[in-house]
This record gives sequence, C-alpha cells and structure tokens, in this order.
Amino acid sequence: MLSRRWSWGLSIAVLVGALVLPLVSDRQPLLTLAIFVFLIATLASSWNIIGGLAGQISLGHAAFFGIGSLVTRLLWLEGVPLMLAFLAGGLASAVAAVILGYPGLRLRGIYFAIGTLALGEAIRITVGNLYPRVSALPAEALRSYDLVGRYYLILGVLLLSIAVTYYLMHSKLGLGMQTTREDEDAARSIGVDIFMHKLIAFVISAAIAGLAGGSFAFFHVSYYPSFTFSAEWTFDALIVVFIGGIGTLVGPLIGALFFVLVRDVLSTSLVDVHLLIFGGLFIVVVLLFPGGLMEGWEQLQSWRGALRLRRQKAGDEAA
Amino acid sequence: MLTVTDLQVAYGEIQVVWDVSFSVPEGSIVAIIGPNGAGKSTTLKSIMGLLPLKAGEISFRSETIVGAPSYEIVRAGLVLVPEARATFSTLTVLENLELGAFSERARPHRHETIGQVFEIFPILKDRQSQSAGTLSGGERQMLAIGKALMAKPELLILDEPSLGLAPLVVERIFEVIEEINRQGVSILLVEQNARLSLETAHYGYVIELGRIVNEGKTEDLLQDSRVQDAYLSF
Amino acid sequence: MSSVLQSILSGILVGAIYGLAALGLSLAFGVLKILNVAHGELIMVGGYATFFMFTLLGVDPFLSMAAVFAILVVLGLGLHTFLFRHIVTLDEENRIKNSLLIGFGLTLILHTLAVRLFSADDRSIFTDYSTLAWTVGPVRFPAVKVAGLLIAIVAVLLLEFFLTRTYWGKALRATSEDWVMASLAGIDIRRVYFVAFALSAGLAGLTGVLISVGFSINPSIGLQWTLKALIVVVLAGLGSIPGTLLGGLLLGVAEALSSLQFGGEYREIVGLVLFLIFLSFRPQGLFGGRHA
Repeated sequence: MLSRRWSWGLSIAVLVGALVLPLVSDRQPLLTLAIFVFLIATLASSWNIIGGLAGQISLGHAAFFGIGSLVTRLLWLEGVPLMLAFLAGGLASAVAAVILGYPGLRLRGIYFAIGTLALGEAIRITVGNLYPRVSALPAEALRSYDLVGRYYLILGVLLLSIAVTYYLMHSKLGLGMQTTREDEDAARSIGVDIFMHKLIAFVISAAIAGLAGGSFAFFHVSYYPSFTFSAEWTFDALIVVFIGGIGTLVGPLIGALFFVLVRDVLSTSLVDVHLLIFGGLFIVVVLLFPGGLMEGWEQLQSWRGALRLRRQKAGDEAA
Repeated sequence: MLTVTDLQVAYGEIQVVWDVSFSVPEGSIVAIIGPNGAGKSTTLKSIMGLLPLKAGEISFRSETIVGAPSYEIVRAGLVLVPEARATFSTLTVLENLELGAFSERARPHRHETIGQVFEIFPILKDRQSQSAGTLSGGERQMLAIGKALMAKPELLILDEPSLGLAPLVVERIFEVIEEINRQGVSILLVEQNARLSLETAHYGYVIELGRIVNEGKTEDLLQDSRVQDAYLSF
Repeated sequence: MSSVLQSILSGILVGAIYGLAALGLSLAFGVLKILNVAHGELIMVGGYATFFMFTLLGVDPFLSMAAVFAILVVLGLGLHTFLFRHIVTLDEENRIKNSLLIGFGLTLILHTLAVRLFSADDRSIFTDYSTLAWTVGPVRFPAVKVAGLLIAIVAVLLLEFFLTRTYWGKALRATSEDWVMASLAGIDIRRVYFVAFALSAGLAGLTGVLISVGFSINPSIGLQWTLKALIVVVLAGLGSIPGTLLGGLLLGVAEALSSLQFGGEYREIVGLVLFLIFLSFRPQGLFGGRHA
C-alpha cells in the first residue's frame, strides 16, 4: 500500500489535474468522458454511503438520481435559476428518501433490497407514464451550451460526495453507521439508534444522488425523463462500488474510472459488451474478492511475494 | 468405537474446546456431563462434521471422520439426536421417520425399522399422519430419537435428551436409551442432568470451560466429592 | 359487466404464469436460501429456446416444452456448479446477500448476451392455432392462454406430488425447514441443493414457454418477471405450492381490474404497491410465514 504522504501527494496531483483539464484541452470527447467518470463516481460513492458504510443494499438508487434530474430539469426549463433548480433537485431526492426510508428502512437485509428494487421500478414506470415525451433542451439553451461549466459543476458534486464520505468515515456519525452495518444487535446494545443512523445515511446518499441527477439534467441535451430512473443507474453504481472496493473512500472513484474507460473503449466496437465483462467481473469479485479488485490485486501481489520468497529460500537451501 | 483425541475447536478467534479427549467403547453407554456452555454441544457439532476443527483427531471404528460431511458420518453409523427435540415441524411424523432413513444403509430396511420404532414409541404410530409441530415436547423428543434410530445407528449420540421434559417423560426416555443399548447400539449421552446420566452410563467424563476435568467409571464418579458438590447436591 | 368478466379472465390467464414464475423462485429461496434475481432472465432464456425451436426447427411450442425444461435444468446445473454452489456454505444472511449480487451479475450477462445474439426486438410465436378462441356468452377464451393455465395447474400438481410423495421431495422440504437437521438426518444437502436449483431453473424454462407462446419476449423482460415472481412470493408466502399459484392468479386479476378501472398505464403499479404495503406490514420478513 502507498504510504500516507504518497497517497496525499497523489490525491492532490489528481485533483489539480482534474481542475486544470479544461484549461489545457478543449477536446469535447475528452471532457465528455471525464464528465461521465465524475458522474458515475459520484453516483457510486453516494451509493457507497448507504450500501458500503451503513451496509444496506439499496437497489432503488436510480430513483433518487431520477428525482434529482427530473426536478432540476423541470424547474430549470421553467426559468428557475440553475443553481436553485439544482439544489431543489437534491432536496427533492432527500425528501423522497425520508418518505420512503421511514417505512423502508425498518425492513432488514434482503427485504430492504427487494423493497427498494420494486419501489425503484414502480417510480420509473409512473414517471414514464406521466412524462412519456423526450425532454430536449430549447434551441436557445443549446446555442449557449457550455461544456466547461458543466464539467466544473459535476466535478464539484463529486468533490462534495468525497468530502462527505471522508467526513462520515472519520466522525461519530459515520462510526455509528459502520457499527450498524457490522452488527445491528451489538450496535443497539451500545446505544446506537440504528434506525436513525440508517435513515441519515439513506438521506445523505439520496441527496448526493439527486445532485448527480441534477447535473445530468443540466448536462444532457435530450433524453426520456424515465431514462434517469432506469435500474441501469443503480446497477452501474453497484458494479463500480463492488469492483473498486465497497466501504472505501477511493474504491468508487477508481472503479468509476475503470468502468467508464472500459465502456468507452468497448463501445466503439461492440455495443454493450462492457456489461458482459462487468457482469462477469462483478461475479468474480463477489465470489473471490469481497474487498474489491484493488484488494484482490494486493492479495495476488502478496501471494506472489510469498511464493517468490519461498522459491528464493528453496534456492538458497539448494545452494 | 468412537475416539476423540486432543480436540480443539474455535469460533473465529475464540477457542471454546481445549484438548478434549474421550472414547466410547463398543456396546457401552458413556456420559459427558457438565454445565451449560461448557463446550458440550460444540464438541458434538464438530464430531458430526458441522464445525471445522482447529486441531485434533476424531475416529469412528478406527477410521478418521475429520473433514467428512455430515451425511457420510451418518451413513457410517454415527447418528446424533440434536438438542431441543429437533424435528421437522412442517413434516408429518411418518415423513420425519422416513427421512431419518435417508442414508443408503438404512433406506432399504425402513419399513421394518419403522415397525421397531413404533414398538418402542407406540404414541408415534397413533400420531403418524400428524405434523410434528403439533406434538407435545415429550412426543417430539421421542420422534427425534425415533428418527435417529431410523438411520440404523451403531453409535447414537444424544444431546440433552432430558432438557425441559416432565420427570415421568425423562424416566421413559432413559429407559428407552438403556433398551436401545441392550439391542447392541453404543450410546454417548451428553447431559446437564448429571445424576440420571451417571446412573445410566458405564463410564463418565466431566467437562468444564471446554476442558475434560474428570473422568472415571460412573460408580466412582457418583462417589467423587467434587462431582457430588458440583453436580449432585440438590 | 362483460368487460369486467373478460378482465378477470385475462387476469387469471396471465396470473397463472405469474404463479409459475413465482414457484421457481420460491423453490430456490425456500430450499437453498438464495434469492436468484436472475430468475426472470432464465425465464427469458426459456422463451427464446421455445421461439427458436419453433422458427428454426419447426417444433410446436407445446411439444418443445419438455426439451426447454431439460435445457434449463442443464443450464441450472451449470449455474449452480459454477456460481451458487460456492455461496450455499455461507451463513444465511450472507448467502442471501451474495446470491442477490451474483444473480444481478448474471442478469447483466444474460441480458447483454440476449441483446447481442437475438437483438432487442419483441418476439412472439404464431402458430395455426394462435388466434383460436372459444366464446362463451360475453367472454372470449383464447385457446393458447387457456392451455397455458392448464399447463400451469398440471405443473403445480406434479410439483406438489414430487415434494410430498417422493423421497427426494421430502428431503427438499426437510432441508428447506432446517438444513443442519437435514444433514444430521443423513441427507446429502449438497445434492438437495443441486436438485432444487435445477428444478427451479426448469420451472423458469416452462414459464418461458408459456410466455413466448401466449405473450411476447424480448431481452429485457427479465427484471419485470423477477419482480412479478417476487411480489407473488411475498403475497403467498413460502409454505404452499397451490397457494403460490393462487397468489399469482390474485395478482393477475388485481392488475387486470385496476387497469380496467384506472387505465393501462397504472397496471404495473398495482402489484408493486400491494407488494410494498405487504412489506411494510411484515418487516420481519415475509418468507418466514411457513412456521407460523
């Protein structure tokens, strides 16, 4: 593992790189790719808060991404200032999380997972019925479309989600969530209000997903409103988190980079083949490396190291 | 017949069974007594292949059974009656008995064995089409023992057969245990009810905090002052 | 009035398939304690198998039923060997969680493969008798779907027979109740798991046959059918096989009547709302009803 100083240095270098990227290159495909990395990373790290830190496998995460994007898009196109519309989107997702989480989080484990899966689908279908038409940006908005502004907005949301995760991993609140994840009965016995901790994690997770959705609504030119509610977004977030390493700070970021790059490389030749690869990778991770591919890699390294050491020793003895 | 040597069992980091050694000679009744939480059930679970050992050796008829899956151990003739009168409550009494004879050595004889079980426990015959969940505690313990007999055991292990039963029922169960033994089945009896088990068995072990602390012929153990103080004085 | 009767009938006809889908799912859940969210994708595979046997080989879909069942049993054995076998040794909570995640990875793979191999188009099977229907009073009985209902009923009876009258069936029920006790009774639970998962996959294949012949299939139907099956399992509990079929029929009728009342757009919502109401009233777990 990298030493502490090295990992700080690397983080700052990556951050500076991300901040200056639009200044050194105005190539649209590059910026768009970066935007997707940020978006998926944000979505993944927001899922990581409820799924990784609090340990509740939510399969309805797309609903919050969708609600954020729907509210932001509608308000923004109605003429509400973007920032206001954007915050309203995040707020709407947070409110939805309170309403849905209040009964939903009383379900334990698997029941929460299938409950959120069903709920997410119910919301998607309803939105599809209520807003059956494509939402496209009006001509004037298109004319003034500025990719760099969108780039910084989405980067900002990503940084926020990293900061929140970092805070949660180092605060009493986050500790309570992790205790809840490890053993609910033990957490309860030491006085942790497990329901409140789950609810707070759920609301924070949803709010950030809502902001990610809002930035998608600001970024994307035209899409069906129900598209942002599609279960694919949930699945993308899950894959990224599990491949990168669940419950870690950088896992979702590295996972997202890997995911989007592979998707980008493969999508030029074969549509959707990346899902085949990631589906398989996902299963491998669940079966073999519950700590994510990063940890799996380290494990392999240490095995190889041990093997080399043993060979060396055998060689020494032979000599 | 059954020999356990230096058994060590741990749940994760926490070791609960230390250096446990004992043996059950063919044709005998051996009792292991000790308080709740002494490691008795853990020892039985590892014998039956339900828990991995940390170290130690378990052999049945001079062959190791360490690492064998439970069903193979049962097929070899080593059968456990789990504690808490374990029966399949959603299945009928008859289905419970039939499933007891699942292993290949017992299945062909199952009709004959069911007759024998019904002879020992006539009440089970009357209740054969009832679901096991509707039986009383004593009847369920009889069913649990009957189910184990269906497997044609050579060594029958009983985990707390008296727990939570009325005195008359307990007496009946222990009579049956002796009867089974007379028919040639060796018995390992694991009990908190020390007096009754020591009076029934030929040889006894005392287990405390995961270690065997005392052993001997049961008539000697019944006279042992430490055993009397700890287990027989009430 | 006649439209109400017709709605109830069409609800029953589709509900039989919901019931069949749920039977497969609940068999795997009950015995192996795994939740295979890729059950709907297995149904989809069964549907395509039927479709291609019909279009490429000219085999009548009702005749290909046995072959499709067998194909899915083999697929199920493979999936169990390579994937689910490795998690049935975990404790129950992690078993369910990991099975959910593996099922989800499988969902992605099967869905993507289907899109690549079969395209995203809707497919359905048209035979000489596809439009055949009987009219009794105001109600029209489409022959193919009525046959589907009958097949579902026969499947339920056969499964009930297997589980209550055969040795292996009883072993499945015993393992479902308590796998530790089952292995202490000398049951090789690893083989029980194989049998149960293969049977669950076979049932998914059968469900796929009925869908491809009475309705239509495309690579994306998986999630939808998994959800329907989940809803029915939640409504009906795990205990009884005929109860599960009945749960399916109820869901079908509820959907049909509500779409008559509120319009087709809300059809999909009804079941999900029912499901969520049930979930919130029994948060301790719906599948625990068996012992109650």
